Amino acid sequence: MSVFTDQAVLTVSIDGEADLLRVRSVLRAEAQQVGLGLTAATKLVTAGSELARNIIRYATHGQGAMAVERLGREDRLGVRAVFTDDGPGIADLDLVMRDGYSTGGSLGLGLPGSRRLVDEFSIDSSPGQGTRVVIAQWAR
Amino acid sequence: MGYGDVAVAGEVAYRQMIDSITEYEVIRLDLQGTVRSWHPGAERLTGYPADEVLGHSVRMFYTEDDILAGRLEQELRTATETGRYETEGWRVRKDGSRFWAAVSLTPIRDPDGPVTGFVKVVRDLTERRDEQVAALAIEQMLDAITDYEVIRLDLDGNVRSWSPGAQRLKQYTADEVLGRHVSMFYAEEDIRSGQAQKELATAERAGRCETEGWRVRKDGSRFWASVIITPIRDQAGEVTGFVKVARDLTERREQEQLVQRQRDEILELSTPVIEVWQKVLVLPVIGTLDSLRAARLTEGLLERIARDQAEVVILDISGVPAIDTDVAQHLLKTVEAARLMGTVSILSGVRPETAQAIVHLGIELGGLRSRNSLRDALQVALHLVGVGNVAERDTAGV
Amino acid sequence: MSDEVPILRVGGNLLVTLQGNLDDSTVEQIENAVTSEVARTAASGVLIDVSGLSIVDSFVARVIARLVAMVGLLGAASTIVGLQPAVAITLVELGVPMGHVRTALNAEQGIALLRGARDERVH
Repeated sequence: MSVFTDQAVLTVSIDGEADLLRVRSVLRAEAQQVGLGLTAATKLVTAGSELARNIIRYATHGQGAMAVERLGREDRLGVRAVFTDDGPGIADLDLVMRDGYSTGGSLGLGLPGSRRLVDEFSIDSSPGQGTRVVIAQWAR
Repeated sequence: MGYGDVAVAGEVAYRQMIDSITEYEVIRLDLQGTVRSWHPGAERLTGYPADEVLGHSVRMFYTEDDILAGRLEQELRTATETGRYETEGWRVRKDGSRFWAAVSLTPIRDPDGPVTGFVKVVRDLTERRDEQVAALAIEQMLDAITDYEVIRLDLDGNVRSWSPGAQRLKQYTADEVLGRHVSMFYAEEDIRSGQAQKELATAERAGRCETEGWRVRKDGSRFWASVIITPIRDQAGEVTGFVKVARDLTERREQEQLVQRQRDEILELSTPVIEVWQKVLVLPVIGTLDSLRAARLTEGLLERIARDQAEVVILDISGVPAIDTDVAQHLLKTVEAARLMGTVSILSGVRPETAQAIVHLGIELGGLRSRNSLRDALQVALHLVGVGNVAERDTAGV
Repeated sequence: MSDEVPILRVGGNLLVTLQGNLDDSTVEQIENAVTSEVARTAASGVLIDVSGLSIVDSFVARVIARLVAMVGLLGAASTIVGLQPAVAITLVELGVPMGHVRTALNAEQGIALLRGARDERVH
């Protein structure tokens, strides 16, 4: 069962709040193209919004990017979004992926929540190495 | 022009002429770029008196970056090779302040050919440059707006300016529209009703006209636009023209229509929800719930709640063979989602085994009301929506 | 992205509509506008219309919760009105605690709810 990526990769740079709109509209458009239902699309866009906000809030100079591409597996289509930033990186991944972990009186990085919204979720990060989060949502 | 061959008398006249130039600096440099002449204009421009300049390298007026980059040597070399060197760049005054200068270097040659020095003319462009930079910035800003159209109309409504955004939006190039009336972009029915003129009149009268409507591109295709027209006034307050900003809303409209279609689809996917009373829905949950089915059930229920504005929803689980943590979790999430929308949920069909299982599994129902029979649940529901005397009133909070 | 925050008076209540892109400065404007209107009109209730929000992430959820808290400190009750189904499911999955926030399907129901809340307080 191979997974192929269909068409080009769309990249959106994430430098500030103004880019959030673009992140959301690109994800929404891709979700529609791939046939994600309303709920699945809403979850994907919301997860994307969370991850993009993290980049804006915590990454160095709030700079990062989202790369989106469509996926295909047998008869199903999906959307994959990769969020990268050159921020300080996360020291303890287990800790931030634990529900209830928070920094500075907010809900932390919202990572556990984002994970629940999507079909696939993976995160790579270490101090000084930035962070890379990959999410994917499949059409039923 | 070589200074070398001017006769002494001519030299005096020339000196007088240079001295009278106060807005420019016209000085002589030797081959190495050392300053050999000075005059009031040069002093005015740079702040240096002659004795602080003569015999020094002209490099003293350059910025540090330019000095490091060997700018002077380059300029002298180019002037020598090509006969004249013109440039614009920063120069530094005695007080350390910078000014933007137009500089020209012309080599002075002996009659036999070799270069013996240079004439350097320097002009302060600072003010003009500030204006240029501002104008350029505005141009760049307007050009960067490709998602919007920002154009100018004259008093009669003829197009006076075009922009990349306008071209992108309507497909016309500037020469295809300049001078023509703005109604060329309106739909036929609007042209007939004089819509454009009405909008301009409103803008003039009210100071602004904001509308949405169909517009037509060059290829004849229509798009739904959001348009704002504001008048341009002169210093006397008289209207001399209009600025028109337009945005294509088609995508947003299509988006809205698509979302509505998706919501209708969810409703059609036959989630077996029954409206038993006004604003009261019953969802019989039957059989085992895999996560896909469970998700569909929830989506369907919530869409029904939205469509019917149901205040109470009864989740009847008498048809669920065995309750486990997954099923329970799913039910609780559905209940919470319904609550966020403003709907109260009641669990019904809770059999004795189910009640035991729930407690054994340590599942917390929170404030969720639950009843053994659908009939009891209905009584609670009816009370909640304010129907008559219902015995349940005292236990409504349970 | 509004220059004016849309706030309507409905009897003794205020209706504020959240829509569009909620960035930091817009949020500040909304918080300022709502709190001063509540104080100025001595409103007893605030309806927060979220029917126009198709995406509510944890940031927006916190904005709503904070607004509810601010309004509460001024002595008014508040109700979230019109949350979209897909957004409701997503919020629950996201896990943002919204348990303390009063909710209603629509403005009419919201007003009835606020009336009840007011009555509770008086007694």
